[in-house]
Amino acid sequence: MNPIWIAIALACYAVSSGCFFFGRGPDRSRIANWGTAMLAAGAAVNVLDLIARGLQAGNLPVATFGQSLPFLAMLVAVIGLVLIVRRGLPAIGIFVAPVAAVASAAAAILGTRGRLVLPAPLRSGWLPVHVTLAFLGYAMFLLAAGVSLLYLTYEARLKAKRPLPAASERVPSLETLDRINYHLLGWGFVMLSLAIVSGAIWADATWGRFWSWEPQESWSLVTWLLYAALLESRLTVGWRGKRAAALTIAVFTVLAGSFLGLSLMHSGHHGGNFD
Amino acid sequence: MDHRLVILGVNHRTAPVKVRERLAYAEDEIVPALSRLKLAAPAMLEAALISTCNRVEIVGVATDFPAAAEAALGFLAGDRGVAAESFAPAVYRFAGRDAARHLFRVGASLDSMVVGEPQIFGQLKLAYAQAVEAGAAGLILHRAFHRTFSVAKRVRRATLIGHGAVSIGSVAVALAAQIFDTLADKTILLMGAGQVAELVARQLKRRGVEALLVTNRTFDRAVAIARELGGTAVPFDNYRPYLKLAEVVIGSMSVERPLLTAENFEPIVRERHYRPMFLIDLGVPRNFDERLNSFENVYLYDIDDLGQVAHQTRSSREREAEKAEAIVNQELEAFDRWLGELGLVPAIKEIRLSIEQLRDYELSRHRAWLAGLAPGEQVRVEALTRGLVNKLLHRVLAGLRSNGQVVGDGLYTAELARRLLCGEPELDAESDEDDDDSDDSI
Repeated sequence: MNPIWIAIALACYAVSSGCFFFGRGPDRSRIANWGTAMLAAGAAVNVLDLIARGLQAGNLPVATFGQSLPFLAMLVAVIGLVLIVRRGLPAIGIFVAPVAAVASAAAAILGTRGRLVLPAPLRSGWLPVHVTLAFLGYAMFLLAAGVSLLYLTYEARLKAKRPLPAASERVPSLETLDRINYHLLGWGFVMLSLAIVSGAIWADATWGRFWSWEPQESWSLVTWLLYAALLESRLTVGWRGKRAAALTIAVFTVLAGSFLGLSLMHSGHHGGNFD
Repeated sequence: MDHRLVILGVNHRTAPVKVRERLAYAEDEIVPALSRLKLAAPAMLEAALISTCNRVEIVGVATDFPAAAEAALGFLAGDRGVAAESFAPAVYRFAGRDAARHLFRVGASLDSMVVGEPQIFGQLKLAYAQAVEAGAAGLILHRAFHRTFSVAKRVRRATLIGHGAVSIGSVAVALAAQIFDTLADKTILLMGAGQVAELVARQLKRRGVEALLVTNRTFDRAVAIARELGGTAVPFDNYRPYLKLAEVVIGSMSVERPLLTAENFEPIVRERHYRPMFLIDLGVPRNFDERLNSFENVYLYDIDDLGQVAHQTRSSREREAEKAEAIVNQELEAFDRWLGELGLVPAIKEIRLSIEQLRDYELSRHRAWLAGLAPGEQVRVEALTRGLVNKLLHRVLAGLRSNGQVVGDGLYTAELARRLLCGEPELDAESDEDDDDSDDSI
């Protein structure tokens, strides 16, 4: 396995971050366009790398935390691209590109080596299904937090009577950001739910029980409940806008903290501890 | 015999509207007017007529500018039935580089009443098209207008001059656009009937707002305003249920104490489920307590806040205008260079060079065969081709020279000869790019 691909993807994401940072001004959309292109390039490199490693592993190459990070970076970049291109939200690039870069850098440091192939009982069609669903959910929650950060920034400026230059069409309205946040949360919640269900089915097929209360399972349940409450509060109490944005970020820190903590502590099957 | 770009006319700075309106042409009057101008002022070799609400200008080409200008002004006075003395002091005249600069600045919207407004671009396109239709545009006007359009595009691409709101109304609309995705499904409540408030409501309405509620202390007045703006009048002593419906509230009532206070507004926010609200306070004294701004998802801007935002945009526009002026100056250099290269002498030089090159090329193609000839024969071939080229050149040049002296449009003949004998010059190289998005700014 060649770590050069991770380095190339990292370089693309880093350049993309720079482009988005220096392309913030309303008259700099060309620079931001380069940022988008580099983000796409980074995602493409990630995909090639995943295919190469996947062929070696004969499955989705996510046996260790370090191996799974490029997959997460790629999903974040792709969903970010969807938001930039389809939803007209280039401002999110300033969040997406650095996150993808940091994930790639972490992958480069942790290394994508180590065990590539899972132990025989775990080699199953459920692996790509379960992991892809879970990571899609994580990526969407991550982007929801990013959109919420944007929301809070713009909101603070509007409250302080220092709005952004009035005609920069690239500035999304608060309503737009709030709705995108809601959509991301909704889809992320669907993905997380399906990931939990598919994980349970896979566990039952492998070990004969759906749930074993290992740390990742418990924390997933906690975050699932938190996100459910977040969506519920919007739909019933009408918590939207600033409050929804702040809560989205708060809940995401719980998710990110538990995911990183558990992955680095190597506890349970999810931490790469299969023996 | 110098052909120069010339401009004369009046604009919003030199003449008040009561002068401009009497000189103005309707759109369909321009082509016939250009034909009449050609007869009345033959010294104007090419001409276009720009008539907008801010300016009436004749852009032309002349060799004798004072005479052409007098004739054109006389034509304008006669054609419009206005005494020449009544507007002559307001007329500005530019020739050569100054005329090109003026035209570029007009196109870049630097000479507009609201600097950066986009309509002028379409108006210039129309004026040019009409000049072409009237057969009044020639070599220099083609070039001048095409350069003007590309300057305008460069300015729009490279600066923010067309961006940003300047009036209170447009600031309010711009802010609404930063809060709300679309205004189409929003409700506005207009409280009171201040002039600025009415203007803001009108602008928001133009941006697609469907539901406009109007309330006033005197109900009849509310009904009148509602009818004028296309809204619905609601009674003032029972406006609170309507307040709950509104996303945008414009206040301009004369009050001693704020109409909406933190205490009486709080239940409304709660009943609205904290959906965003944009409060525009145009009243002096203010209609809305400033503490309302601290409510969740409520954005309160009073008249000073709006003025401050407008001011920010205005000063950023001035900075952008400086950038635009720099672009105009760059392009001016290029246009000047092109004009300087027009004319007989450079054309003759270029034609001679081109034909000599042709001879060299043909000789080099047959180099192998030539090398096989006896030295004496080689010299004869050389002499034969040179003689042929010289005779041809002599005829062309003699024709050009006499033509240039006799007829006024020697310039065009020279350009034509150059095109025929040297291939297309760079004139049209950029006109394709100029025409790509002709309608985007109207």
